[in-house]
Amino acid sequence: MSAIQSELTLSDRGLPRMQGADAAQLGAALQRKYAERITGHSVQPARSADYRPLPESLPAALRRALQARGINQLYSHQAEAWDAVGRGADVVVVTPTASGKSLCYTLPVVASAMTQSTRALYLFPTKALAQDQVTELLELNRAGDLGLRAHTFDGDTPGDARQAIRLHGTVVVSNPDMLHQGILPHHTKWAQFFENLRYIVIDEIHSYRGVFGSHLVNVLRRLRRVCAFYGSTPQFILCSATIGNPKAHAEALIEREVTAITRSGAPHGERHVLLWNPPVCNPDLGLRASARSQSNRIARLAVRAGLKTLVFAQSRLMVEVLTKYLKDVFDHDPRKPARIRAYRGGYLPGERRAAERAMRSGEVDAVVSTSALELGVDIGSLDVVVLNGYPGSIAATWQRFGRAGRRQQPALGILVASSDPLDQYLIRHPEFFSGAAPEHARLHADQPLILLDHIRCAAFELPFHDGDGFGSDAIDPFLQVLAESGVLHHEGTRWEWIADSYPANAVSLRSVADGNFVVVDRSEGRQTIIAEVDYSAAALTLYEGAIHMIQAQPYQVERLDWEGRKAFVTRTHVDYYTDAIDYSRLKVLAQFEGCVAGAGSALHGEVHVVRRVSGYKKIRYYSHENIGYGPVNLPDQELHTTAIWWQLPQSVLDAGFSSRQDALDGFLGAAYALHLVATVAVMAEARDLQKSVGSADGAWFAAADGRGRGQLRAIDGGLADPRDVPGFIPTVYLYDNYPGGVGLSDPLWRRQGELVVQARALIEGCACRAGCPACVGPILAADEAALDTPRALALRVLNLLFVP
Amino acid sequence: MTALAAQLERWRQQSGAVRIQPAAQAVIAPLASGSAAIELDHLRRLLGLRLRSTASQTAVDGDLPGSELAPGLRYVERHLDLGPADAVLYTDIAGFEHIDPPRLLHFDTETTGLSGGTGTRAFMIGVADWRDDRLRIRQLYLATMAAESAMLETFASWLRPEHILVSYNGRCYDAPLLATRYRLARMHNPLAALRHLDLLFPVRRRYRGVWENCRLATIERQLLGVLREDDLPGSEAPRAWRSYLTRGDARDLRRVLAHNDQDVISLAQLLRRLAIAAP
Ligand SMILES: [Zn+2]
Repeated sequence: MSAIQSELTLSDRGLPRMQGADAAQLGAALQRKYAERITGHSVQPARSADYRPLPESLPAALRRALQARGINQLYSHQAEAWDAVGRGADVVVVTPTASGKSLCYTLPVVASAMTQSTRALYLFPTKALAQDQVTELLELNRAGDLGLRAHTFDGDTPGDARQAIRLHGTVVVSNPDMLHQGILPHHTKWAQFFENLRYIVIDEIHSYRGVFGSHLVNVLRRLRRVCAFYGSTPQFILCSATIGNPKAHAEALIEREVTAITRSGAPHGERHVLLWNPPVCNPDLGLRASARSQSNRIARLAVRAGLKTLVFAQSRLMVEVLTKYLKDVFDHDPRKPARIRAYRGGYLPGERRAAERAMRSGEVDAVVSTSALELGVDIGSLDVVVLNGYPGSIAATWQRFGRAGRRQQPALGILVASSDPLDQYLIRHPEFFSGAAPEHARLHADQPLILLDHIRCAAFELPFHDGDGFGSDAIDPFLQVLAESGVLHHEGTRWEWIADSYPANAVSLRSVADGNFVVVDRSEGRQTIIAEVDYSAAALTLYEGAIHMIQAQPYQVERLDWEGRKAFVTRTHVDYYTDAIDYSRLKVLAQFEGCVAGAGSALHGEVHVVRRVSGYKKIRYYSHENIGYGPVNLPDQELHTTAIWWQLPQSVLDAGFSSRQDALDGFLGAAYALHLVATVAVMAEARDLQKSVGSADGAWFAAADGRGRGQLRAIDGGLADPRDVPGFIPTVYLYDNYPGGVGLSDPLWRRQGELVVQARALIEGCACRAGCPACVGPILAADEAALDTPRALALRVLNLLFVP
Repeated sequence: MTALAAQLERWRQQSGAVRIQPAAQAVIAPLASGSAAIELDHLRRLLGLRLRSTASQTAVDGDLPGSELAPGLRYVERHLDLGPADAVLYTDIAGFEHIDPPRLLHFDTETTGLSGGTGTRAFMIGVADWRDDRLRIRQLYLATMAAESAMLETFASWLRPEHILVSYNGRCYDAPLLATRYRLARMHNPLAALRHLDLLFPVRRRYRGVWENCRLATIERQLLGVLREDDLPGSEAPRAWRSYLTRGDARDLRRVLAHNDQDVISLAQLLRRLAIAAP
């Protein structure tokens, strides 16, 4: 009911006819009409260009090629990069989207290739970006007949082309995964390339954070080891979107001192940003209209106004849902070319290329995308960017906004907050988006499991010697463990690879476990692979019964072959989508540290986590009502990681709460608030930090039921009564969602006292009466009147943990 | 190793930290012994590794055939009467229409793995050539890893510019693998300059579809009537070598030697069978 209402509350009525308006005018009109939904507004003034002459030292042919391409001068940051690289410095260039940053590395790379026959390796996080870069290089090459050979080298490169690329490629454009699995383990085939390797270019370094970034540091350690074997010490040229610590991040990645160039000389148009909170539709429960309905309507207004629009959604599912909504409006005539397109990972390359071409040529009016488009894939000019939900980091927010306004015209970016508590927290604190530097990228390169994986790969590439470092420290214990597991052999001072395996194939840089799932369409007797899904997303999206959307066409999963990594689907015409229900339980394995926290204790240590997808909900389109459940039977996913946790002794709970049920509800609400402030405190991606409430011995765990009340479940998942549990000591955990931990629990532990204070302030400062999704989680109307509201119970737990 | 060191440091500090009585019973007491031991233990726990029980010290059969050419490098040689060598072989193989048998060098390697890449090495090289109407079979193999460069050097010293290499799938497998090993040993690759007759290609052309597959074992059984007894399949060679290296057990390594010996003999005989009468 409330959801249906919300779809209707935002209508076109009352808006001036926007046909032919520019993005700034649309922004102003939205602000006038929906002032109460806009929690923040900022304008970046237009800026004119800061030009420098083409450097004297540029080879003449290269200068002519640039001029033929219409480049007669450089932006200041391009000139600075040329000078710094010329001095031999490792450089990071930090400039916004569309500021011509690729010239910062193209000039030195091409000049050196022309004058000294040196070679360069480019690493991009995606194949699509690599493709774009090669196209750009080849255009420059043609313009000046420079004799460059630029090639992509990735999983799509045909076998018969590889040898020629290895032997003759001037610029080899690849990705970290290919370097890791395809190049380094075969470095002898690349001997001439490595001997002459002068520059390593890594673009989009802000995307190498967390697990992926920690892997990349280690891949680069291996790369430098191999280069040293061939007698080369290449120079690094790095590029980054704006993040808080570009120099420190670049230095953490390559483990050398880096010169940072942070001032852009490129011009840009005026940029308006609106922070948009959907209206409250049920004030009692603190429920708001869905972000989806708001994004959908804003995108409709923008498209109607003739503005090229890009909508970013947080999940593939949401991309498909929003695409369907927009197509229902704009693409109902199948004879006309589509005006709305979806773009996300998981499409096959050809399909992705076609979408990019359609967008560049301007025949598409709106694109709905996941983060796959965040990284400078060239799709031409845009006017309006709508973010359906907070993308998880301030840097990503700005980068996505940066997709609009390439023509030096006004651009409009709108962040629509979802009901996700993190969104709600941030949208009410616009200061996070203004002035303050975007968050810091974090790496944990010496995370033991990641390190071990790469020491294994490195040992396959070249033997280690006693006392060798990898990164900075001696790694003998790792080598010894590898010898114990039979993959290395210690002889004399050397540790040699002896296993009959290819270790890089067992190490995925991007996820915990390797092996993408393929989605096979079996409609009408077909057997066609129509998509790929990450291992990490498979349990949540490919269970039997799931509705899987591809270009807004629903498919139902009929069978999931977990071992074979295949999901078999058929086309369907249902009017609902599905959403997985999952839960986790924890068991403490070891504690590192502990301290008194109020009447209880705070601890830090290692935990074992078991996660299970137990079922799914069917949710009807448009009304979003829950129309049924289905069971899911999948293997548990286990994780051994680090965590911090808080607990209160039974005596304190007995004195402080009238029932164990109340105490449990208090812990669930406290966990919700603690998780929220912790996510912001360490700038984690929400999925990298998880919360759980349970018993420290793993005997039971708690989850909020459909009504927002705590339910206690035994290990087998069966319901239990809190009154029957011996030694009732609820514990709230925040754990690092990566095997072995990726460095989140350390900073959280250092700030554990502060987190309790912040969580308390969050709840106390919330406008609700009994609790809401922005503080302690969704609650039930019936709890409104309760004496001990979920909000009060959560506050009581936090007060008991508070150190005055 | 900062993370592990930090962890260790935490464990050390813990004695001084506020001692909490944990609610759970499942807390593993931190160790207080030497640092390396703790790091190792921690790593093992993280990996779920259990220290393998040290193998029972019953005497293993570590008898290695042949003589020692250099520390860790073993050498086996024998001569075989296969009837007089042909004066000249005529074939329909392009580039090899007539061959002078003394120039032929049949070779085959046994490797530590089948996955390729820089971590795979040859631990055995078998070579057969015609000497005074008899087939001479020479085998080099490693008893230690350090002997690899001596093996590569010795093999290189056997090669002459006039030699023609004969192999079975050697163009795609053995030769690139040796090229990688020479590169890693920073030595010149002596194979690169030699002509190379890979019998897999003519065999495929002639016998594809005639027998179930074109593996050497199939071809030699069908064409040469060779039946191997107690043969250790090539895929077992890596394990056989590792058992010698890590446990000193040479029983299967000797079977690899026999297998490799038969391989190079079969190469020589196969080429004779493929030869055609003088035009
Ligand atoms: Zn609230």
